[in-house]
Amino acid sequence: MNKKVMVITGTRKGIGRYLSEYYLAKDFIVIGCSRSESDLKHENYEHFCLDVADEKAVKKMISAISKKYGKIDYLINNAGIASMNHSLLTPLSVVEKVFKTNVFGTFVFCREVAKVMSRKKFGRIVNFTTVAVPLNLDGEAIYAASKSAVEKLTMILAKEFGNYGITVNALGPSPIKTDLIKNVGEEKLNKLLSRQAIAKFGTFKDVSNIIDFYLSDNSKMISGQILYIGGVF
Amino acid sequence: METSETKKILIETTNEYFESQDFNEKANEDTVLFGKESVLDSMGLVNVIIDIESRFLDEGYEISLTSEKAMSRRNSPFRTISTLAEFIEEQVTANEAIDE
Repeated sequence: MNKKVMVITGTRKGIGRYLSEYYLAKDFIVIGCSRSESDLKHENYEHFCLDVADEKAVKKMISAISKKYGKIDYLINNAGIASMNHSLLTPLSVVEKVFKTNVFGTFVFCREVAKVMSRKKFGRIVNFTTVAVPLNLDGEAIYAASKSAVEKLTMILAKEFGNYGITVNALGPSPIKTDLIKNVGEEKLNKLLSRQAIAKFGTFKDVSNIIDFYLSDNSKMISGQILYIGGVF
Repeated sequence: METSETKKILIETTNEYFESQDFNEKANEDTVLFGKESVLDSMGLVNVIIDIESRFLDEGYEISLTSEKAMSRRNSPFRTISTLAEFIEEQVTANEAIDE
């Protein structure tokens, strides 16, 4: 198998859909997943319907990919959900849902895919965080807390997987016009943008630019890093 | 799957790991994998477990050696190749029961 094999989570829409099409255009084999069917049709695209926090389903998916292609080169843990609400108005069920998808899902995919990657002594894992972590955005306590966990996972997994030739990094998009922020008011978004060194909305291209950097064969010494879009620190 | 076959796979996989690490050891069913007398350090054990899981996957058996059940047993199933073989047999039998 000469083609690069990439697993992306949350590929039905938004950034995940864009990344699927972007890497298919680079002649990668892309295996995506989401809770519902995808209408993306491409000879090198395969879709699994599952909840990323469903450990059994994820294991089945990764084992099927491993059997079919014999390797996984890249994992992009893009699937994520947000909860933008005052913490006093946030039910525990929402907290559980956010942590299940963002933290448990990311962890299970990292663990299962790293087992496959370790056999080839090569792999690149990219996780998704958010600028809400360094900016401590009010109204995003749960979302930011879950992404803080993803950042810590990224750093420690980078250490644990380092000897297997696997790098683990994360990127934190600034607001990008996707469904994730569709319910956030314009005033709030502008206030947020004003806290960035570059006060503009991010684009899908900004995301793929960072991922390209992490995936590059030349980036074998880059691991455990968190990179935010828009000049946030 | 026969117990002797399970042990054979475990011995082969462990030997492959020993060779890859230039260990001057030959595994047998009494080889200690975990604990003070083990030749493996903690990362070595992790590597052997991953190798064993993927070897069984190649053979068509999906097993998970890192279950809570395995971790919480009073006598660790990872202690020797024999105890690990027994633990794997249990999983394979349980999985076959589910499939039927």
